[in-house]
Amino acid sequence: MKAQFGIALLGLSALLSSTAFAQENTLTINSFGGAYEEAHRKCVITPFEEATGAKVNVVTAYSADAFAQLRAQKDAPQFDVIHFSGGQEIVGAAEGLLAPIDPAKLSNAGDLYDFAKANLAKGEGPAYSIAAIGLVYNSEKAPTAPTKWTDLLDPAFGEHLVLTDISNGYGMLSFLMLNKAEGGDLNNIQPGLDAVTKLLKGGAIVVSTSPEIQQEFAQNDAWIAPYASDYAFTLRNAGLPAKFVQGAEGTPASYITANLVANRPNQDLALKFIDMTISKEAQACFAEALRYSPTNSKVELSPEVAADVAYGAEGVAGLIRFDPATIEANRKDWVEAWNKAIAQ
Amino acid sequence: MTDRAENLILALPGLLLLALAFFLPIAQMLVLSVEGANGPTLEHFVRFLSDPFYLGVLWRTVRLSFIITVICAAIGFPLAYIMARVGPRARLWLIVMVILPLMTSVVVRTFGWMVILSRGGLIPALLRDFGLVGRNFALMQTEAAVVIGMVQVLLPFMTLSILGVITRIDRRLEEAARTMGCSFLQTLRTVVFPLSLPGLVAGSLLCFTLSASSFVTPNLLGGTRIQVLAASIYKSVTQVLDWPFAAAQAVILFVGILLVLAPYVKMTARNNG
Repeated sequence: MKAQFGIALLGLSALLSSTAFAQENTLTINSFGGAYEEAHRKCVITPFEEATGAKVNVVTAYSADAFAQLRAQKDAPQFDVIHFSGGQEIVGAAEGLLAPIDPAKLSNAGDLYDFAKANLAKGEGPAYSIAAIGLVYNSEKAPTAPTKWTDLLDPAFGEHLVLTDISNGYGMLSFLMLNKAEGGDLNNIQPGLDAVTKLLKGGAIVVSTSPEIQQEFAQNDAWIAPYASDYAFTLRNAGLPAKFVQGAEGTPASYITANLVANRPNQDLALKFIDMTISKEAQACFAEALRYSPTNSKVELSPEVAADVAYGAEGVAGLIRFDPATIEANRKDWVEAWNKAIAQ
Repeated sequence: MTDRAENLILALPGLLLLALAFFLPIAQMLVLSVEGANGPTLEHFVRFLSDPFYLGVLWRTVRLSFIITVICAAIGFPLAYIMARVGPRARLWLIVMVILPLMTSVVVRTFGWMVILSRGGLIPALLRDFGLVGRNFALMQTEAAVVIGMVQVLLPFMTLSILGVITRIDRRLEEAARTMGCSFLQTLRTVVFPLSLPGLVAGSLLCFTLSASSFVTPNLLGGTRIQVLAASIYKSVTQVLDWPFAAAQAVILFVGILLVLAPYVKMTARNNG
């Protein structure tokens, strides 16, 4: 009992001192856990702490959770910098939860490609990494190296094709891109559904999570899957001969953004953190560790890393961003239509 | 203190738990299932019942549950009979063997089946080597896989239900039947089987309800393309956050199972008291 009380007291005092300290030199941010958070610490957080002497509290929260927290804390926000990968910054900025950023205050803003800093003035933070969606394939077994999205319909791949359910974010983007390549758009996903029906008839299989893709490649003789570039790297690390290629029709991209939270005391320090996040060193580090595509034009990558990402002005030219707000608005209907299309 | 009060006090914790953990959520689900933008509505039920896709999902759920129950009974009855008639030592071992699968998590057990049934797995590879099936043959993501996995999971429930009844059947009845000229199989059919019906019914009820509401095994072995109702409910809740529709589906599953079971129970109750 006594010991418990002592621990409680200790915790309380630690809490008090940390909140007092927070006014001065502490930032609270979110990261996405696992290997991502590890890389995040290595590439940005630790160098930032060393350079500024500040302390960074990392809260592990995926985009949707972090956004829900941000909304709930509207009157007394607890995050200084908040990272999103699902386009939440568009809604957050519109609701005034995020503060506009003056590009002049970010020394690295000039190096960013235009698309990565398009809406800083509205409050949408800069994109510092991109998950590029393209074709992941087995370079030893695939009869021909795929080059475009419509290659998925090549009967040669037939039963060796793996599709991902659209409940998965990357699965959704892959599907929308296939739909686009087949002549559809965000108002009409029927061409995509027709293509999927055709692929399933040809023997393609549908999985719902990324580990299942690895399983298909490792054990069930899968040759090709539309998915994110970083996953080709994951497969290769598991000893599989996987390669990534951007489809000629375009590369759907999921932006990972660093956003400045409104109504927080330490905005200058937070801006320094964001500045560091978009620096070429941090982005090169992210690309190296996880194979996310950089958005800083000055980033230099080894050929080995560059092959796995959308790299350079040419690589990012084909990037397509399907409007996250439209996706959210249609998600319910699309998921139902998809479920009906794939049901046996 | 009167007997009545004492009984009430003794039953109180159980009643409270039942109210909190069962009636409250069920009531909430019922309310949720008729929740609409402008007051109570039946639109979620109409949406389900007027859509061939969802009716197909319901039909598959009922059909698979039925098949699974029948197979469980077909395996479970002879197994239980043998278990009841062997010596105590052998019976113990057989019971352990039947129960053993229940000791591992359903997820782990199902992964075992995934390894065996997948395209490169043991059984499809063997069949391919013997030239019995085509190159692309796989058992994973088929209804057959769901049935195989579910039968393994549910067999103990069926076997043990029947075993309980068969061990109480007087052996002299069988002996009498044999001396009256029945063959072994005739004895089984005319004496043991009718007397063990209550166990068979109890086991079937368990198997049917459990398989109709099961989610993990059909999802892992059937994949996303073979949807059963429980998986569809899960998708409605987690993917599209449509809780009222999910609740409506749950109510339909609930009522559907009741409709199937009610006549079954009634019929056998009449036969066996």
